[in-house]
Amino acid sequence: MAELAVEVKNISKQFGRTLALDQVSLEVPAGELFALLGPNGAGKTTLVHILCTIHLPDAGQAKIAGFDVVNQAVMARQSLGVVFQEPSLDSRLTVFENLDFHGRIYAVPTALRKQRIPEVLELVELTKWRDALVRNLSGGMKRRLEIARALMHDPALLILDEPTVGLDAQTRSRIWEYIYALQKERGMTVLVTTHYIDEVEGCDRVCIIDKGKIQALDTPEALRATYGQEVLWVEPKDALARAAILGKYPQALEHQGKLGVRNLSEGQVAAFFAEFGTRIRSSNLQTASLEDVFLALTGRAIRDQAAGGKDAMLEFGKRGGEHTQ
Amino acid sequence: MTHKTTPPSVLNQLDAVYAIWLREIKRAIRDRGQLIGGVSRPLLWVLIMGIGLNPYFRGEVYGEVRFIVPYTYIQFLFPAVIALNMMYTAVQSAISVIWDREFGFLREVLVSPASRAAVLLGKVLGGTTVALFHGILVLLLARFTDVALSWPAVFKALGLMLLLGFGLTSLGIVIANRVKSFEGFGVFSNLIILPLYFLSSSIFPLDPALTRVQAVVTYPEWLVLLVSWNPMTYAVDALRGALINFYQFDPSLGLIVLGGMCGVFFLWALWDFSRQ
Repeated sequence: MAELAVEVKNISKQFGRTLALDQVSLEVPAGELFALLGPNGAGKTTLVHILCTIHLPDAGQAKIAGFDVVNQAVMARQSLGVVFQEPSLDSRLTVFENLDFHGRIYAVPTALRKQRIPEVLELVELTKWRDALVRNLSGGMKRRLEIARALMHDPALLILDEPTVGLDAQTRSRIWEYIYALQKERGMTVLVTTHYIDEVEGCDRVCIIDKGKIQALDTPEALRATYGQEVLWVEPKDALARAAILGKYPQALEHQGKLGVRNLSEGQVAAFFAEFGTRIRSSNLQTASLEDVFLALTGRAIRDQAAGGKDAMLEFGKRGGEHTQ
Repeated sequence: MTHKTTPPSVLNQLDAVYAIWLREIKRAIRDRGQLIGGVSRPLLWVLIMGIGLNPYFRGEVYGEVRFIVPYTYIQFLFPAVIALNMMYTAVQSAISVIWDREFGFLREVLVSPASRAAVLLGKVLGGTTVALFHGILVLLLARFTDVALSWPAVFKALGLMLLLGFGLTSLGIVIANRVKSFEGFGVFSNLIILPLYFLSSSIFPLDPALTRVQAVVTYPEWLVLLVSWNPMTYAVDALRGALINFYQFDPSLGLIVLGGMCGVFFLWALWDFSRQ
């Protein structure tokens, strides 16, 4: 098996006049939990689609488990399990039938298929829903089923494109528990895209992508250390103390009566307390968040955007319009 | 970890064809609306329209009142209703292609190692099977239509229906690949199925015993032209030949047109599909 689960070299992709990906390069070693963080429209899904062989890159090279996604597309597909951003289950089939279908089109032999279906169902705790029609499952259950399905052919790499979008907080954290478990217990290589910053804290490495370009790529700790800022918030006992602190640190932030001193080294923190320790009521150290990192790198906060234009059709489908005659 | 590192074999591809075929069948069985349509349509067309118009299926041709074709109207109509019912199921398959494309399931299939040809073949064979079943639903009404079915006639008809189902499903997929968004079944029904059906000499004969001049005297020229250009005309004619032994055109023409439809539309759909 190749050491690198994903190898992307100088990938560019243009849609009309929009440059969706601009000279993107990254590597994901086997066994890593890798996050691709960026706002909607950053190019995350385009990159995922190139890795899945849905789109061809305009320039550059990409390999999945050593297989080129253009020249060895079939082998790259065989090595890859994908959970797409938009659900791709057949809602008229049962949970079991969806898994069995996947096993067959991925050439999993019958005996293995029979062995793996209960295994993956157990993993995402859907065993008792085995024979339920997918249309009767909740959004979170469908997501879990999609993860189970992607594991049916034992891929070298699992890609999840925005796996928690549209799910409630509780379901989101549950999905992440499965993702952590997959990496730790099965040694699975996982590539996750997300625009929720809080979700990437637990990942091994984070790639921040915006406007088709990689802005930063490192461990969450390193990113915070490089781009984030720590703030020591203190509440002075009286106006005198307040004036003294402000006299020493004129750049300090002021917020609801508290003063915030930025980016002190450990020694500077100790010096601060030696000098003002008796003259403050409370203190707390606000560590750098990835949110700050993102803001520092892109100059804007990450946020949700309005949904696309398929809503009318989707609504039509919900009314049962697919088969109106 | 023992990841599979060999490309899928021919046998694996056949398994993929089977999986996709099976999915089509399961979806069709679970779709009540489609089944209800498949049963009620032939009842309406055969039992109400067929029986209702039965006494009026004769006319004056050059001063002489006689049956225009040597069969009753219900016998004449019956084979065409088989084609009609099969056209509806083919359109259902086409719509399911649009649906799969717009709402993700197609992606699940396209990122799999299954070849495009296997995916398409599974889809078309699934649609063909369902269409064949809906055609058989009409055949079951034969005893109400004075059509005496013999086993050879049934087998001949089933063979033709198989080709028709395959060709129509492929055509449906070709059309589906060109439809950008889908808001209802009515568009398909009114823009594709019914024109093809009405212009296939299904509900009125276009007696080719008449010379071209005579035909154009009886019918407006544009109508004669449209009917003779419509491939469904020859499919219906072949079915009529098999079931009531009445041909309006050269008997071999139906088989040629049906075979041509299968080949041309399937390859066309495959060409579309391979570019996605």
